[in-house]
Amino acid sequence: MALATVLIDGNNFYASCEAVVDPAVIGRPLVVLSNNDGCIVSRSAEARALGIAMGTPYFKVRAQLERHGVVVRSSNYALYADMSQRLMSTLERWVEDLEIYSIDEAFGLLHRPAGGDLSDWGRALRRQVLCHLGLPVAVGIAGTKVLAKIANRAAKADPACGGVLDLAAAADVEALLETIAIEDVWGIGRRLARWCRLRGVAHARALRDMPAGELRRKCGVVGLRLQQELQGHACLPLISVAPAKQETCVSRSFSEPVATLAQLREAIATYLVRAAEKLRQQRQRAGAITVFARTSPFAPASFYSASATVTLPLASNDTAVLLAAALPLAERLFRPHRLLVKAGVLLQQLQPDDLLQHHLLVPTTPEQQLRRERLMAVIDGLNRRYGRGAVQWAACGLQPAWAMRRSRLSRAATTCLAQIPRVLAR
Amino acid sequence: MRGGVLGLDLAALLVRDPGRTVLLRVGGVSMQGAGIGHGDLLVVDCGLEPRPGQVVVARLGDSFTVKRLVRWRGGLALAAAHPDYPLLPLPADGDHQLLGVARCVIRRC
Repeated sequence: MALATVLIDGNNFYASCEAVVDPAVIGRPLVVLSNNDGCIVSRSAEARALGIAMGTPYFKVRAQLERHGVVVRSSNYALYADMSQRLMSTLERWVEDLEIYSIDEAFGLLHRPAGGDLSDWGRALRRQVLCHLGLPVAVGIAGTKVLAKIANRAAKADPACGGVLDLAAAADVEALLETIAIEDVWGIGRRLARWCRLRGVAHARALRDMPAGELRRKCGVVGLRLQQELQGHACLPLISVAPAKQETCVSRSFSEPVATLAQLREAIATYLVRAAEKLRQQRQRAGAITVFARTSPFAPASFYSASATVTLPLASNDTAVLLAAALPLAERLFRPHRLLVKAGVLLQQLQPDDLLQHHLLVPTTPEQQLRRERLMAVIDGLNRRYGRGAVQWAACGLQPAWAMRRSRLSRAATTCLAQIPRVLAR
Repeated sequence: MRGGVLGLDLAALLVRDPGRTVLLRVGGVSMQGAGIGHGDLLVVDCGLEPRPGQVVVARLGDSFTVKRLVRWRGGLALAAAHPDYPLLPLPADGDHQLLGVARCVIRRC
């Protein structure tokens, strides 16, 4: 039996998630903004129809959005991550192997019955996701990953497909491949696309049929693999097991430049608290911490970027221990008169937290360690239950001026008991 | 609470499939007769096809509503479990959507 590759992804994922938890926005144009309420990163179908472009800076179209009554939302990552988890756990049951490719996108592998058309299978999958999660998805089915991407794109482009396309059952694959611009082929970057265009290779069909030698000379085996995938020979395997995390990073742009050491310390403490929380979730400890900060790259004359690292005597995921080690690094990064626009914390040398640790110079009894672990678990539990920041570390500051702007955030409707939506019994 | 109580897994008792389950907070008293009170947590399974007789969650216009689904004049309607609240017919072309079936109510004593 032949194998089929399927690519499933959410339509306007962030915007769709917002509509799932708030029926008042269904059918209305809605946009979701990036960090610091900067640019438009997701649009509902209705917002798309208004001609609002992806990536547009919010301040440029603010008046236009207001005029059209567009609902504007800040990125609600807690909600999107939870919906993503639900989506992936549903998909897992439909395929034999699943590769989670991004927050709203996954490749799957399944057997194709001899001469079988998987369109009905795709439609049933789409129906179930829509019914169980309220999320519209597109389903592209083909023999390889690159072709599944193309099938998925075509499924979205042609309303007659109803969001599902099996390339093996498509009427005219040649014509379909010619509608896929070279820039839209998965794995073709901007430079390679320009090179192809110069050679008259303007779409996926032409790339598939161009001389292999030429492609190999330009971009080696990577290009050849891409071409073979287009020809239907699968050579990009599914990566279904995520490798254990080697590093955990939390970094953000500031809403306003940071000019004082006190503010930088608050920012680093805030990012570290979040990173430590992630670390405990991953059941890991960190052996080293790097903090970094930089000024705006758009002012090259005064550009400043620096990082500093500290190695811990004993790997830890105790927020207090990590804070004590990382905060002195802020002093090493800070320079007066340098307006910092971004900073971050990188936790390194990660190791599983079930290894028992001993160190001659850091004497702790197992009882002490257990108490600290319990304390961290209680803090994490409270923050999960009552919303992030319910229990806060003083080093993070109260109402910091630099904090990421998210003025139009919807509620943590699926992850925080205090914020779940209301159902009326009236 | 990790694991279970007395060897029972409470979460499994309340939730059949976490991927398709949502929690909603009840506002109002119209379902009191069905044991669903103001402020209760409702566990809703969006994977079950709502059938007449069941307590369901529906989207009516721009809000979520909990009621009992009933047959009415050849079609469907939403019925409250309280004498003060009227029957809400669900016309075939209306702005509504049946979202799931209420499985459990969680209330603090």
